[in-house]
Amino acid sequence: MSLELLIMFAFGGAFLTYLAGKISSKLRDIFALLCSVALVVIVSSLYKVETTITLYNGFFGMPLSMRLNPMAWFFAIAIVSSSALVVLYSMSYMKHRERTDYYYFMLLLINAAMLAIVLSGDLVSFFISWEIMSWSTFLLISYNRNAALPAGIKYIVMSLIGSMCMLVGIISIYTAFDTITISEIVQHMATATAGYKLFLLIIFSITFGIKNAVVPLHTWLPDAYAESPSPFSAVLSGMLTRMGIFGFLLIMFVMVGAENSLHMGRGFFSYHNILAWLGAITIVIPTFIAMLQNDAKKLLAWHGIGQGGYMIVGIAFGTSLGLAGGIFHTLNHAIYIILLFLSVGAIEYSTNGLRDLNSLGGLFKKMPIAFLGGLLGICGLIGIPLTNGFVSKWLIYKTLILGKAPFLAFATLLGTWGTILSVYKFLHNLYLGQLPQEHQNIKKTPLAMQIPIVILSLTILVFGILPGLPLKSINAMIVSFGFTPLTVSIWGISSETGTLNMINIFSILLVVVAIFWLIFQAARKSTAVDQYDNYAAGAAIPKDKYNYTVEFYAPFYRMATPYLRDIFDMLYQKIARFTEFACDNIRKIYTGYVSDYIIYIILFLALLISAQLKWSVF
Amino acid sequence: MNEMSILDPVLLIAIPLGLAFLIPLLGLVSKKIVRWIPVVGFLFNGIVALLILPHVLKQPIIVKIGGFVPPFGINLYAGSVGMLLASLIAITGFLVSIYAVKYITKGAEQKYHILFLLLLTGATGVVLTGDIFNLFVFFEILCISSYALVAYLGTRSGLEASIKYLIQGSIGSSFLLIGIGLLYGQFGTLNMADLARQIVDYTEPSVFVSMVFMITGLGIEAAIFPLNAWLPDAHSSAPSSVSAVLSGIAIEVGLYAVIRVLFTIFAVSNFFIFFMVLGVLTVLIGEMSAFAQKNIKRMLAYSSIGQIGLIVFAFSISTQLGVAGGLFQMVSHTLGKALLFLCAGYMIFRTGSMEISSLEGIGKKMPITALCFTIGTFSIVGLPPFTGFASKFMIIRAALANGELLLQILIGLVLVGTIIEGAYFFKIIQTIYFKGAHKTDNREEAPVTALIPMLILVSFIIVIGMFPNIIDKVLQPAASELLDQVKYIGSVLG
Repeated sequence: MSLELLIMFAFGGAFLTYLAGKISSKLRDIFALLCSVALVVIVSSLYKVETTITLYNGFFGMPLSMRLNPMAWFFAIAIVSSSALVVLYSMSYMKHRERTDYYYFMLLLINAAMLAIVLSGDLVSFFISWEIMSWSTFLLISYNRNAALPAGIKYIVMSLIGSMCMLVGIISIYTAFDTITISEIVQHMATATAGYKLFLLIIFSITFGIKNAVVPLHTWLPDAYAESPSPFSAVLSGMLTRMGIFGFLLIMFVMVGAENSLHMGRGFFSYHNILAWLGAITIVIPTFIAMLQNDAKKLLAWHGIGQGGYMIVGIAFGTSLGLAGGIFHTLNHAIYIILLFLSVGAIEYSTNGLRDLNSLGGLFKKMPIAFLGGLLGICGLIGIPLTNGFVSKWLIYKTLILGKAPFLAFATLLGTWGTILSVYKFLHNLYLGQLPQEHQNIKKTPLAMQIPIVILSLTILVFGILPGLPLKSINAMIVSFGFTPLTVSIWGISSETGTLNMINIFSILLVVVAIFWLIFQAARKSTAVDQYDNYAAGAAIPKDKYNYTVEFYAPFYRMATPYLRDIFDMLYQKIARFTEFACDNIRKIYTGYVSDYIIYIILFLALLISAQLKWSVF
Repeated sequence: MNEMSILDPVLLIAIPLGLAFLIPLLGLVSKKIVRWIPVVGFLFNGIVALLILPHVLKQPIIVKIGGFVPPFGINLYAGSVGMLLASLIAITGFLVSIYAVKYITKGAEQKYHILFLLLLTGATGVVLTGDIFNLFVFFEILCISSYALVAYLGTRSGLEASIKYLIQGSIGSSFLLIGIGLLYGQFGTLNMADLARQIVDYTEPSVFVSMVFMITGLGIEAAIFPLNAWLPDAHSSAPSSVSAVLSGIAIEVGLYAVIRVLFTIFAVSNFFIFFMVLGVLTVLIGEMSAFAQKNIKRMLAYSSIGQIGLIVFAFSISTQLGVAGGLFQMVSHTLGKALLFLCAGYMIFRTGSMEISSLEGIGKKMPITALCFTIGTFSIVGLPPFTGFASKFMIIRAALANGELLLQILIGLVLVGTIIEGAYFFKIIQTIYFKGAHKTDNREEAPVTALIPMLILVSFIIVIGMFPNIIDKVLQPAASELLDQVKYIGSVLG
């Protein structure tokens, strides 16, 4: 199966889905699902294939090409599988919504564009796909109307800033080396000066930093995640944002090369060290801001930023172990954050769009599958052993400890601590505690929404117990960057500096659980009571008078809120307002009086003449 | 030359001019037929221009009117630049006149079609002529018909805009005439090639006075900052079909005249930094003014100013790449802006208001028009895979090619302009599709005569955007023609 076919299938499928929707919505749903499943099949059939093809020379005679290598395959399979699950989920979630044809079209177009990004073998097709992804994302973020509109504008403006930086970078590479093919750029890079390499690293880092929401370029993300339709939030957080990680890998380890990008600058003030520190800041501050959120999706969104920090730290540290951790965390994060967004989406679906943590609660009996997803999702997010997040976080901690970076290690641990606090709030306020009266008779979660949640929950456990499965292909990627390979077994990683063997942990935990189970068996039986059978200070609580979930962590709020403001967002808002103000005033040059305009004309003439008389330019 | 008798560039001017005068006569026969005359005329022009185009890529066609050998008599210079723009004018004219068949139904219909033909005849004349006085004459035809067309709707704002435009345009024309007069007084010739030849050897700095007058005069029509104050009023008050041509053709032709005068007649190279800065200023001021607009047509008009600034900037780089990029940007802007104005025309017609806020929900009401509009904005902002991206790519490449710091800073500012442009266009797109409550309005799509030109423009935008090689084959010779003054003189004077 060739790459051209894959790309044509991806883009063509998106268009055809739209057309199918004009005939019947059933046909469209099935067609969209078949398309995305077919893409999964095609991509998995390309495992371990390495190939390069030239698509066409139509763009100013530049050879636009596609290439498949371990890095591209790894991201491609993640994109297509998450897309397939999300499409399946959308079949129920998006039913009875407006413009569903358009929704599916954009969703599939975004996935096709992401696929084209990771497969592109040259920078121009990379940029073209990147931009298609950006504008179609904008169109889908705006889908929910109202609050989604400013979120969309925020996203697209920041994204445009990023792409303009990238465009300058790409064209400067083209003028410097006279090629846009990535494999050729790699060879030319040896002749470039260190200053030029640093320029490239910085200018591309802005682009990818915006996409991956690295502090201080993160401000588009919370609103965009929160206001998108939930299945799309899942795509956005799971894969689309992580195109930034792909970009960082591309610029740091493929184009500029590890030996250059890891030795840029001196001591603390080296490129990768500063990037790692930005990553650390990205972990700590957003994770604590997440704790303050009362909107379930915003809470997840802030974690999306924070988890991105772990990936950046791992990658920027630039050892085999760190890279493996960073990349693996990208995959793991995709799995559990998609799962979490889908679980929240299920609640939204059942409660007619409710996602306020203060007014929900006690849903676990009503929505057991969504609860399962939420529970395993937050376990992954925290990094509890036997879930996938544990392995990648372990790799990152290990890297930082081995690399003698105690402060960075502390930052990552602090982030995990904050994560535990805030996701407990998430879980508790949605599923545990008292069920508010109005949610007694909520809609059931449809099967099409349950299946993706179950699959993702299982994946979390499978990758947590058998991390060797994905680590094998990550290892291949690391080797292609020129790093020493890790010794990966199906159960984990073994090395002289520390061995991770999940099967041992698994068996120990099994034993511990068995012991506890036996103890509890011996103890007195607990009695099951109704969910409303609650007491506080010995007195029965009247129904609907008290909700445990309101103002969770209130003391912490009072303490932390002044320190946890998003100063960058405020700064950018200020800049935006200033720009608006400036624009409004610039417009006043055109006064509307023709006499002023004639003065402009005369002044222009006078300026030309005096310029000549003074400097004799002609 | 015998087999090329149908391929005579003179026809490009003669046919629409003749048809314009035929309209009053044909109007006596049938009112309906009049509407189709511009369509027929520009279809013919388009075909002829596209047939001539491949012939002129290597060697320009010099038409000697009345058989007088240059520098005596008037000659047409149908080179690659001229034919590229002439084809563009004919194609745009063709599409816009199809649009106008249903769109222009009120008022002095016949006069509209006459003026429309004359406007584009003037434009074609400007890009093809090799004689500087002839250039003035065609320029006047272009300007005077556009003054009248701006006031076509007869509204108060239209008349006001037209008068303002008239005042500023007349000042421009007089400056142009002063410049031409000074040149004629000094050199005794009006032939561009002959003038160029003599100016090369002429060391007196006094020649710059005429250059300054000519640039100022032409710069008004070209909408270079600060000479562009007439544009927002005129472009927004005219009927949309006229705005499409004014934005898409008229200002670009004005800019072509400036470039031709600068590159070919005066061959100044050390003047371009000034123009570069001017171009960037035009971009920033145009885009920033557009950002604050609430009226869709004014916004599009200001955006045209921004685009013109980008084209000026590209030309001022004055390298092969830069000039080719500027020409390409002209093409993308014509296609994109014509499309936007055509779409906006029916959106305004259906909603009855030019306020952007009134466009809420138009995406449901007029899905095809809204889609075309969206694609047009994407192309103007410069997003792939549309043509605006390809041309912007070329310009950035030209700006970064020689590694000058000034150029790098200026292109940075241009890109800031692009971001502002993106912001306001994306806001409109949100208004069209997502703003307001979800309503299920009845469909009120634009008529087929409007949809056809829009869809053709969209297909151009996509095809050229994906395969810019098609147009690059014309752009490269065109750019070398503009840059190579010696060859120009040689091919005219022999």
